[in-house]
Amino acid sequence: MPRLLLLLPSTTYRTTAFVEAARRIGAELTVASERPSTLEAANPAGLLTLDFQHPERAAVEAETFAREYPIDAVVGVDDDSAVVAAAVAERLRLKGNPLAAAVAARDKHRQRQLLAAAQVPVPGSALHRLDTDPLELAKQVVYPCVLKPLRLSASRGVIRADSPTAFVAAHARLSSILAGCDTEFLVEDFVPGYEVALEGLLVNRRLHVLALFDKPDPLDGPFFEETIYVTPSQVPAGLQTAIAQCAERASRALGLMEGPVHAELRYNERGPWLIELAARPIGGRCSAVLRFGEGVSLEELILRHALGMPIPSLVREAVAAGVMMIPIPGAGVLREVRGVVESKAVPLIEDVQITAHPGERLVPFPEGSRYPGFIFARGGRGATPGAVEAALRDAHRRLTFVLE
Amino acid sequence: MDQELRITAEPVDNHRCKFVVSQPLHAAGVRRFASAAEAKGSPLAEAIFAIPAGGVTEVIVSGNIVTVVKDNPAPWQMVGKAVGVAIRAAAASGAPPVATKTAPPAGAPATVDDDALYERVARLFDEQVNPMVARHGGRVELIDVQDAVVMLRMGGGCQGCGMADVTLRQGIEGMLSQHIPEVRGIVDITDHTSGANPYFQASKK
Repeated sequence: MPRLLLLLPSTTYRTTAFVEAARRIGAELTVASERPSTLEAANPAGLLTLDFQHPERAAVEAETFAREYPIDAVVGVDDDSAVVAAAVAERLRLKGNPLAAAVAARDKHRQRQLLAAAQVPVPGSALHRLDTDPLELAKQVVYPCVLKPLRLSASRGVIRADSPTAFVAAHARLSSILAGCDTEFLVEDFVPGYEVALEGLLVNRRLHVLALFDKPDPLDGPFFEETIYVTPSQVPAGLQTAIAQCAERASRALGLMEGPVHAELRYNERGPWLIELAARPIGGRCSAVLRFGEGVSLEELILRHALGMPIPSLVREAVAAGVMMIPIPGAGVLREVRGVVESKAVPLIEDVQITAHPGERLVPFPEGSRYPGFIFARGGRGATPGAVEAALRDAHRRLTFVLE
Repeated sequence: MDQELRITAEPVDNHRCKFVVSQPLHAAGVRRFASAAEAKGSPLAEAIFAIPAGGVTEVIVSGNIVTVVKDNPAPWQMVGKAVGVAIRAAAASGAPPVATKTAPPAGAPATVDDDALYERVARLFDEQVNPMVARHGGRVELIDVQDAVVMLRMGGGCQGCGMADVTLRQGIEGMLSQHIPEVRGIVDITDHTSGANPYFQASKK
């Protein structure tokens, strides 16, 4: 059996989906995390600890491991582990992205530079030090603008400012969020428009679009908390093609070659704009709404591609589907969630997963970014994306989060 | 009683789903059914195996948790609702949803000795697994062994932990296959949504 090295950060939502997919395809699985499993000594072939903060060091560690347990493929599941996977793939000459490409995809500033140089439409942006006087910076920038951390995910710390006063306030919040973990941030132009998310798979540099999601809730700030994704997109076909071409040009500009891609794009009267592109699959538990061919999961598809196994189909099932990242209901300690059964009873709702646990402190955006749960909907024959969206909203209305 | 019954489905993937019910269905340990024939005499399991086009291959009932395994890759949307109907009907009937396991008749051909396996698995859990997972505040409880399939429940830091599936599949399952190769499978009947103190908590996109 081929051996798969799966890089799972200990904080990922995707453990079960990837582990079960690996079992289904019959791969010999080694799970590597940045923190050791307590059972690592009992299964040295199946559990490994790698330094995710230092990808090249992790690659050396993986190479040592591979001398005893040869590795046939390596897969990362989030921004950081995608970089580690690239480093391991380069060192062991496995299918994957060049390390420089994965690093560029993770670093929002580097990504902007490369995409702008390749004439991919991106928001204008400038890199600033956090210790620069915000009053001075506020005089220089063009409004509206967006302050953005270089590496945080899930829109954490992303704040729109429409005036110098709002800029200074946003700068103070961002400085607090980034204290001790980064010294720089981006200020970029706010691009108005309708936002979509593209899920794709790169096969030998060619982008295969797996799904295009509409984001029906406007993302105009001041914070950018994601809520609903619905597919198939209702964007006109010609524009969908332009969006896919924009994402493929961005992938090539970054130097990405193989594996999953998740891109956020906006479009307006000037066409599509690449807001962000990541060399990883869709986040959270959102992939649960995607099925390909006869029910193959996104994770199975990614693992099959990495291992060079046959992929039955890259075509998503012909039904409307959607997911809601449940908005953070407020600040406080979660005591109880009411209405889950009623929420699940809404027609078209497939599942409601509450991922926050009782006693957990919920922190709203922009300081927080952990959604308290997910709602999944899938249409049957004839159900439209609009009906799926309505079901998600109806199911959400039936939930009550009790906070203290 | 039927109106008060609450059922929460927790799909593990498209093949396996746990249904957490607000009242116990089978207080006397665990029952596992690997076929419709085995389910005869247990109305809940019979009804679940009889779901049209459900493709159900296994039903495990323990306390207030019903775990259903099916062999088709369709999402749980349709089958899950039918399982919910079966659970409600079984709970409302007043009869025991699941029959208590009976000992094999004397003289029956020897198959797997679950009792002996139970002892060995329990020893492995006590001596090796639990001292290890205790370092993360976790514990693993052996619930039962039926037909050489181990049923366990995770607690403490393991309950609701983002890496629980890694602990289960890469750790415990590997140890079982190494030390007790007669074990044919492992079923986690934990209600992970109720975990109040998971060691690793999912938070990143």
